[in-house]
Amino acid sequence: MARNAVILAGGQCKWGVREAHLVDLFQEAAKACFDDIPTLKPKDVDGLIVASSYAGRCSFQVNTAPVIAERVGVKPTSICTRCDTLCAGGSTGIILAMGLVQAGAADIVMVAGGEKLYTPQKWEVFYSELASVDHDWDGVHGMGLPPPFFALTAQEHMMHYGTTKEQLAAVSVANYNYATTNPVAQMQKALTLEEAMNAPVVVPPLTLYDCCPITDGAAVCIITTDEIARKFTDRPLVYIRGTAQVCLNSVSANFPGVHLADWKHTRIAAEKAYTRAKVSASDIKVAQTHDCFSISEVIEVEDLGFCKKGEGGEFCGSKQIEIGGKVPINTDGGLLACGHPFGATGIRQGTEIMKQLQGRARHQVKDADIGLTHNLSGANAEHTILIYGKEPVK
Amino acid sequence: MAVLGIPILEDLYPSTMDMWPLEAKEFNRNWMFYENLKQGRLTTTKCKDCGLVSYPPRVICPECYSENLEYIDLPKKGKVIVFSEEVKGVPLGFQSPLIHAVIDLGVDPARRVLSRITNCAAGTLQRGDEVQLAVFPVPALPIDKGKLGTIMSERVFFAFEPVKK
Ligand SMILES: [Zn+2]
Repeated sequence: MARNAVILAGGQCKWGVREAHLVDLFQEAAKACFDDIPTLKPKDVDGLIVASSYAGRCSFQVNTAPVIAERVGVKPTSICTRCDTLCAGGSTGIILAMGLVQAGAADIVMVAGGEKLYTPQKWEVFYSELASVDHDWDGVHGMGLPPPFFALTAQEHMMHYGTTKEQLAAVSVANYNYATTNPVAQMQKALTLEEAMNAPVVVPPLTLYDCCPITDGAAVCIITTDEIARKFTDRPLVYIRGTAQVCLNSVSANFPGVHLADWKHTRIAAEKAYTRAKVSASDIKVAQTHDCFSISEVIEVEDLGFCKKGEGGEFCGSKQIEIGGKVPINTDGGLLACGHPFGATGIRQGTEIMKQLQGRARHQVKDADIGLTHNLSGANAEHTILIYGKEPVK
Repeated sequence: MAVLGIPILEDLYPSTMDMWPLEAKEFNRNWMFYENLKQGRLTTTKCKDCGLVSYPPRVICPECYSENLEYIDLPKKGKVIVFSEEVKGVPLGFQSPLIHAVIDLGVDPARRVLSRITNCAAGTLQRGDEVQLAVFPVPALPIDKGKLGTIMSERVFFAFEPVKK
């Protein structure tokens, strides 16, 4: 009899510029997670997956899993390891935890992601980011820093599909405004379209609010089976119905689409995840996309199948991503407003979808029963999708 | 001033902080790429068994896993498809403006190579502009050879620059 994986609980610490060490952030996030499920204790956890990509560069700490296990007070007896897929690390950790609990190789797995990116000298962050891509072929051209790459992507979307700067700004406005009530988001300021349109230039056509900030932070969630989860909670269970992670290239010269705004790898990941979850794009009631840049969300709504290719600008600009629209997206603020401590993001996303499906989200989408999270990582190299539902796949 | 315990301040070269490839044959089986670059040639590898041209160069063909590869020349001129100019927040080791372009070199698989554009003032590049290979020296790599002492391995790297109109 196959076991079904569920996400039982989740929490994060305050994200932003934190006066804290990396392991402090992990402890705070673990506390937030156990606060979310008070019946569960650290001693119940038998597996730990740590998602952190910059610990080695920014905190001089590699081999993070045992360090984090000790600090958060868990004693894993099934698995204790780190995964390093940068922006998708948290999502990758959940996929791995799902597989372990479904297979019976672990029962209750903590997935903990976090990064401490602000160093005492800020220039080190920009320098370290060059390590996010193929060092010898892209990093050496100064391409590790994401804004130039996504500025090229935005230009190509505008060239091929007529997307406007105003449509990009609409994404930032929607996501910022969701975060105004989120106490753990990095940005909690209401944003007007006018402010977004008149913001300082980062790399044209991207301006300040088109780009997610640099962030310190951590998030933790618990993956287990439905049977075990029922011992700890009366809440509706949130099943992981289907997942996919697709990587077709790393070096920018081998980008898989016909141009930078054509995300073939997103489409393949979506198709696989939908098939495994036995749902289609039209079943998704609420989503968390990887809005590292406003243009990313515009392209994601297309390549996830929420609208036709090329119509993402119109879809986002006409409030289809807001509550009452076709697919409310990033209802906690997304990367743009919550911030993006790489390994933590997928866990924040999964936690928000869990709360939406349990009817306890801050900006609740009515009758949400199927939700999706999506991460891209590196210079748009990997795409990771998880589909959650109130029922298991039958 | 040397600060004990912090090698970067003791005049040692920390290659874990190095932004340039370890081009020397002691550390990189793609060292021929860099030797060719020193001759002003942009090259990559072609599989002699299945014919696949890979970019960047490989030591094993990713298609048929043959090790029977040869270096071939790529065009040294291309056209700018799109470009971006970064003025602020340029990472250490790069000068502002940091310009990146997707360049069409006109042959597969190098129809969309992403490169830095050098020798180009901000606000002057345009889509469709012709650019050419620009090879430049980068800091030599000190290699510890034990009893033989430390040798300096010369290095170069490449970008593209506008072709004068
Ligand atoms: Zn071959």
